[in-house]
Amino acid sequence: MNAIEIRNLSKSFGKKQAVSGLNMTVPAGAIYGFIGENGSGKSTTEKMICGLLHPNGGTIRLYGKDYTDAEVRAKIGVLIEAPGCFPNLSVWNNMMIQADNLGIKQPQQEIAKVLKTVRMEGAASNKYKNCSLGMKQRIGIAMALLGHPALLVLDEPINGLDADGMRIMREVLTDITNDGQCTVLISSHILGELEKIATHYGVIRKGRMLKEMTAAELDTSCRTYIALQTKEADKAKWLLGKHYKRVGADESGWLRVYDAATPEEIVSLLYENGVTLSEIKTAKIGLEEYYIDLINETEGR
Amino acid sequence: METRLEPKFERLSVSRRLRGMLGVDFYRLFHTPMFYIFLAIAAIIPAMVLSTGGQDGGAALYTNTWNIIAADTPLYVVRDIGDYANMNMVFIFGGIMVSIFIGHDYRSGYVKQLFTTHAKKRDYMMSKSIVCAFAMACMCGTYLLGGAFAGILTGASMRVNFGSLLVAILGKMVMSLGWASLYTFLNVLFRRHFGISIASSFFLGTGIPIIGAAAILGNNSALNVFLYGSSVNACLSSNLVTLGTCVVVSIAWAIIYNLLGSAVLARSDVY
Repeated sequence: MNAIEIRNLSKSFGKKQAVSGLNMTVPAGAIYGFIGENGSGKSTTEKMICGLLHPNGGTIRLYGKDYTDAEVRAKIGVLIEAPGCFPNLSVWNNMMIQADNLGIKQPQQEIAKVLKTVRMEGAASNKYKNCSLGMKQRIGIAMALLGHPALLVLDEPINGLDADGMRIMREVLTDITNDGQCTVLISSHILGELEKIATHYGVIRKGRMLKEMTAAELDTSCRTYIALQTKEADKAKWLLGKHYKRVGADESGWLRVYDAATPEEIVSLLYENGVTLSEIKTAKIGLEEYYIDLINETEGR
Repeated sequence: METRLEPKFERLSVSRRLRGMLGVDFYRLFHTPMFYIFLAIAAIIPAMVLSTGGQDGGAALYTNTWNIIAADTPLYVVRDIGDYANMNMVFIFGGIMVSIFIGHDYRSGYVKQLFTTHAKKRDYMMSKSIVCAFAMACMCGTYLLGGAFAGILTGASMRVNFGSLLVAILGKMVMSLGWASLYTFLNVLFRRHFGISIASSFFLGTGIPIIGAAAILGNNSALNVFLYGSSVNACLSSNLVTLGTCVVVSIAWAIIYNLLGSAVLARSDVY
């Protein structure tokens, strides 16, 4: 069963078309990484899934039912932009409010559990307004986890989280999706983090879905390249550039050859020209580079 | 082999949904200083009106303490400030209180969290209307205490038909539901314009449209079909029919405004 099935979805704000003919399929139990640049329509799509924005056209089905169905909607956990908390109330009382709204029968136990999950149990008595950005994000995630949601919609949840916060987030999302009872739709600009947890991806651009794929398909689609390090980087780059079409360098100083057949070829080419290599390896491009490639390809660059 | 379970979807009954939402709104009401400030304002206003009237050699605004609660007869046409300044003023301040209370839902982002999981917008309307009606009824209570206390201090007459006074007070408290529903609707309608929400609530709360209509139609009891009309009708010559009218009018308008508000919420985007 699919947790989310979107067909031909469109939404405009005045003359601005935010989402246009979007199709999207999120299988149940998936961690779906929703990727796109600012203004591509990610948040608008997520808000429509959550029932906060009304589509101008198309259909949204959640677990086979219309997105307006009260039963399904009661099982959505959401963190869009910032948690909807009252600043003058404590973290605990804000959680109690959400638990009451969800009709949770034993709220104290469940709140304690979710706060522990996001390592925020010590901050329960803090006023929400006194929490840091990272703490607020964790509270938002805890709030979204209340009531055992079947679908978690997280818009940029990693923003403001420190390394430990990101690790906790990874653990939490992996845990809750393990038994297939929860599906996660997560958008983020930090693609490196997303790559560590996502099982499926969707790339959106200008309100349209460019590509949907599984993590395995992404892995197959990602090009391999040969990375090498040498003290004579400029000379090596010049030499490689003469023999290969796509040669580049990354931020850490590694030279990359994208269209070489084997590392041996490169080693002998450089050796014959007096360049000594300190290291050479075969690697694959990551999600971030794949995304950039995909955008460039679409734009015909 | 890994076991994959289907998520379970549970149907929440109306009472369970509403109970949860009412619990939240009452909790918020009792934990916001604004509620207590408005209770205090409601108590101070009649005391100020009673104790300041008649100073500087002028005629006293009221010779009877209970005229601060309601006029002797239903006067839709206002002749002087004494006809106007009574417990109906609670509904003006109540409008401001409701605007602040609901405005906070939107400013904090709470509605986003709420409307994601709560598909039924009528629950929101009902809960806000009931809680705000309760708050306004409490303001009527502190207004009564403030007025009575000031009456004792100023030595104004306390003579009254107790039954009619009780009916007038209960009638105005009952009208709180209709007023609270109106203000909830206005705040939902103008949810992105806090200033307009307050201004429109204040304008309608003053009863100016009905006072204007009365200036043309005269002191016509047909005006009782409106919230302000019925609120004025709950006066010191009221009887049980008056209270019955208040109940019917208040509930009827509450239903109308709740339906309108639910329709507006169901068709509008939440930012």
